Amino acid sequence: MKPAEFLNSSVRDFVLNINNDYWYMKAGYYVSLHAELLGDKVIPPSENIIDASRLPVLLVKASKAGIPVLHYLVTDSAKQIMSELGFPVAIFAVNPFIQHGYRTAANRTALYKAVKSLSMNYKYNVCAQPLSGEMVSFKSIFGRCEVKDEQVKEISRRLYQIFSIPVCKLHVQQVEDRAYLCGFEPLRKEEIRPSDLKVISEEVLRFSGKASMIG
Amino acid sequence: MARIACFVEKYNFADSREEEALKSFKTVAERLGHEFHFMFRRDISLIPKYDALFIRATTDPLYTAYVFSKTAWEYGLRVIDDPKSIQICANKIHQYKLFEKFDIPRIPTVFLNKEELHHKQILDIFEDFGKPVVLKAPYTSFSRYVEKVSCEASFRDVARRFFRKSDVLAVQKFMPSRFDWRVGVLNGEVLYVCKYMMPKGKWKHGAKRRGKPSFVWGRTVSLKRENAPARLREVALKACSVVGSGLYGVDLKEAGGDYVVVEVNDNPSIYKNSEDLRDRDIYEKVIEYLAG
Repeated sequence: MKPAEFLNSSVRDFVLNINNDYWYMKAGYYVSLHAELLGDKVIPPSENIIDASRLPVLLVKASKAGIPVLHYLVTDSAKQIMSELGFPVAIFAVNPFIQHGYRTAANRTALYKAVKSLSMNYKYNVCAQPLSGEMVSFKSIFGRCEVKDEQVKEISRRLYQIFSIPVCKLHVQQVEDRAYLCGFEPLRKEEIRPSDLKVISEEVLRFSGKASMIG
Repeated sequence: MARIACFVEKYNFADSREEEALKSFKTVAERLGHEFHFMFRRDISLIPKYDALFIRATTDPLYTAYVFSKTAWEYGLRVIDDPKSIQICANKIHQYKLFEKFDIPRIPTVFLNKEELHHKQILDIFEDFGKPVVLKAPYTSFSRYVEKVSCEASFRDVARRFFRKSDVLAVQKFMPSRFDWRVGVLNGEVLYVCKYMMPKGKWKHGAKRRGKPSFVWGRTVSLKRENAPARLREVALKACSVVGSGLYGVDLKEAGGDYVVVEVNDNPSIYKNSEDLRDRDIYEKVIEYLAG
């Protein structure tokens, strides 16, 4: 069923809401909300959609559930980042407009530039994390990912268990022999390949008979 | 003794009446034996050191205030505004669907999806509600993103603008009035009652001056909560009961001898000698709630 059709329906069922972008106030969000208000069980819940897109909230919830996260700083001050984390650092946006990517900074100039840009001229906070290993970015579909490393696979799996976001992209940092969750973002349509659609179909089959599929 | 953090942004101190109200919260908290500290955007890591968080900065799931609220909630603090209240109150689609589900007396409302913006749909809405109608973006606050439209062309213009941020918007029957009732509610009890008057010639409490970027605000007339009509209080409390048990400002209109809810706001304005004019104990009540 298409999202617009579902929003005008009163289907009482278990709803599987599949969307590449669950951004707040977009169709993917309203589908989950509508299902909840009808009293349906839905994947993903609207609260998780919001929380996953607010990185500091994602990290707090993930950390509470035992997923390894690095020490992070939520601030609008480059000075505070320098004094508490040093260099190099990875900077993620925490604002209503920027959903994709992160910046790295290895010196003062790069850091000021990154903070100014990602904080929208210091209007919002950014989330800074030390960059002491290799950053790995990958698609996570129903918690499954193509990365070989077992720890990274486990982060992807556990994060899906906590947030139930079927389609997303994760940023994980591998430091020595450990992996740490760093970031989350929606998937762009052009990033979805036929092999991803195959994984989605397999997962949907597992739900078939149990759920109405919206997407 | 409770340690209370109050999350504010610089703009909370721009209006002296709001600044005075914030000082009153601090004074009252300290008089009652609690700690009360203002907390700014970069102080989020201090949240675990507190017992309660009181948010005065503007709330929205996409704003910093939500991150503070949810973080504090995850650490087990008592929170005003709690994350669920922010989620419901900051999105009027969510809120009106809840009102519909629980049959809360409300302004007649329909929802419009992005795909439904077409001639027939607009005609149907005008036929049902008459002209003009009010278009409301889900993220409306302080009377912004609520506009009155009387023809299809302006309907389309406003709707397209609101659809940039949200795929669904609300359309409401236009119900002009000299004032909206504002009922402050805390934990299922009425905290204060006032009338938010419309400025002369305007239909909203806060309205843009013609040709200027600035806003003009109507007067606030306060009355003692026990002197407010019983039915008004009853409807306000019923509306809050489906949202949560925090601090809310309920806007209502009188219609046909009864009251209808315009909206329930989290993070309601509390200005010195305004909302608190007739019921000076609102500061104590909020602090006592936070202190647990």
